[in-house]
Amino acid sequence: MSAAANISAVEVFATSKIFNQESDKQVDALLDVNLTIQSGEFVSLIGPSGCGKSTLLRLIANLLEPTQGSIRVNNKTAAQARLDQDYGMAFQQAGLFDWRTVRKNIELPLELKGWDKDKREARAIEMLGLVKLEEFGNMYPWQLSGGMQQRVAIARALAAHPPLLLMDEPFGALDEMTREYMQGELLRICAETSTTVVFVTHSIPEAVYLSNRVVVMSPRPGRILEVIDVNLGSKRNEQTRAADGFFRSITTVREALRGTHAEHVAANAIRGAEDR
Amino acid sequence: MKLAGRIAYRIVMFALTIAFVTALWELYKIVGPQDGGKFFGVRILPRANDNAMPHVSTMLSRYSRPEVRGSDKKIWIVVLSGAWFSLRLSLVGFFLGTTIGISLAVLMARFNVIRRGLLPYLVMSQTVPLIALAPLVVSWGGKLEIGSFVWPRWLSASILGTFLAFFPIAVGTLRGLTSAPSAALELMESYAASWKQTLFKLRFPAAVPFMVPALKLGASGAVVGVVVAEISTGLKGGIGRLIIEYAREATGDPAKVFTAVFGAAALGLTMSGLVAFSDLFLMRNRPKETST
Repeated sequence: MSAAANISAVEVFATSKIFNQESDKQVDALLDVNLTIQSGEFVSLIGPSGCGKSTLLRLIANLLEPTQGSIRVNNKTAAQARLDQDYGMAFQQAGLFDWRTVRKNIELPLELKGWDKDKREARAIEMLGLVKLEEFGNMYPWQLSGGMQQRVAIARALAAHPPLLLMDEPFGALDEMTREYMQGELLRICAETSTTVVFVTHSIPEAVYLSNRVVVMSPRPGRILEVIDVNLGSKRNEQTRAADGFFRSITTVREALRGTHAEHVAANAIRGAEDR
Repeated sequence: MKLAGRIAYRIVMFALTIAFVTALWELYKIVGPQDGGKFFGVRILPRANDNAMPHVSTMLSRYSRPEVRGSDKKIWIVVLSGAWFSLRLSLVGFFLGTTIGISLAVLMARFNVIRRGLLPYLVMSQTVPLIALAPLVVSWGGKLEIGSFVWPRWLSASILGTFLAFFPIAVGTLRGLTSAPSAALELMESYAASWKQTLFKLRFPAAVPFMVPALKLGASGAVVGVVVAEISTGLKGGIGRLIIEYAREATGDPAKVFTAVFGAAALGLTMSGLVAFSDLFLMRNRPKETST
């Protein structure tokens, strides 16, 4: 997948984010982050709570402005990319609107773009097919299970066919079985639509199963410690979860994270051999 | 259908409540002291005699008798037409109050400066006694001339209804408009939605569960405002005027004033019933937890 083209979908240059600068509540959320994501790649951001992985995602989405550095999405400024709806977004809470039917929820971004009714409806039906919820279009979100709601949220995020999908712990609230099913579905959907994905999670197996690359981040101030390539091929299925390579990658990510933990405890004193 | 079931449930509960209050009233008439209960010289318990507390049956049968002796106009017709008059004034007041209340809420939700500057004055406005305000509104209205528009007297009563109605609506709507979860606002931002799009596609729909109770308060506020204004400005034709007229006859005909009081209560119920009905309609597709 990553070899498809060398067009960068996301470029983050020397970016830092400081909240409440120069007050006693100052928080250094991100420090000097550099990251390039190729078009078609699936990249996970992983790290302990408060490592700034969600902040990085929101910077890419232009929901936050960087304190320093610059971010380009789709070869545009992040702000322009947001205005052009070059990305779709999904959160831990599906965040569907209770007062809209499932189909109308999926149509929301298209409505905001000013699409006419027939075009919207056709696309919503296409998206319902993509997430295998054809029969649920006229139901209300609160009548669906958590996993189904999350599938609707993905359909909504992809409704305008954006080249980039930003996801913030989208499966965090689901039970383990549903979660694994959703991971498989997400890979299938991304392959079918050749969407680039930036995925925030704190589950190691989830990051490894889904990603071409796993970005391991340190606790506050958030920095990128290591970027781990996951060589599990482009076709992944339930057998992948039992493969040796899967466990090897999990161990590599875990050790990288442990390194961050040890470092955290030692307060940046020594970088031990554990890092490698 | 679920909606029909809910309406039936409300009607049954309403009837049961009326029966309960009636029973309580009659029970007190049996056990309560005829001349009231005094403690240390202060009358605490109300008199239970027929002059102060007529039997429910007396009050009800009073409706079928003429308004004044010798007249062929039955009192229920008089009360009903008074209530209808006041209802129309209340509807005008409620409509204006809703328009003003929602507009203010949108402005306050849009501009923090306006919210911080305006809200304390709105709260303060509600501490002005209505009775003091009523004559002022009448005299201001009398001086108003916009082209060929002449301020009708009844409009002053509606304006006082507006005055009581707009406040709960403004506050409730504001609370509703700011109730949208931050994730939903972030989502709209990620779509680069304009403020207006966010207002109509997210903030207003999210505000509905907050607006319905606010509108109910506003509806009954409009009735209170109109009735009080009728009394204090002496406007003829409404239920407020009937209440003071009949109260003067309380010694000779104690049941008479109650006919008008019930008329006013029915008026208030009709107004909030209209809102409750729109509630059932607006909330029909929402999860049941949020509907009240």
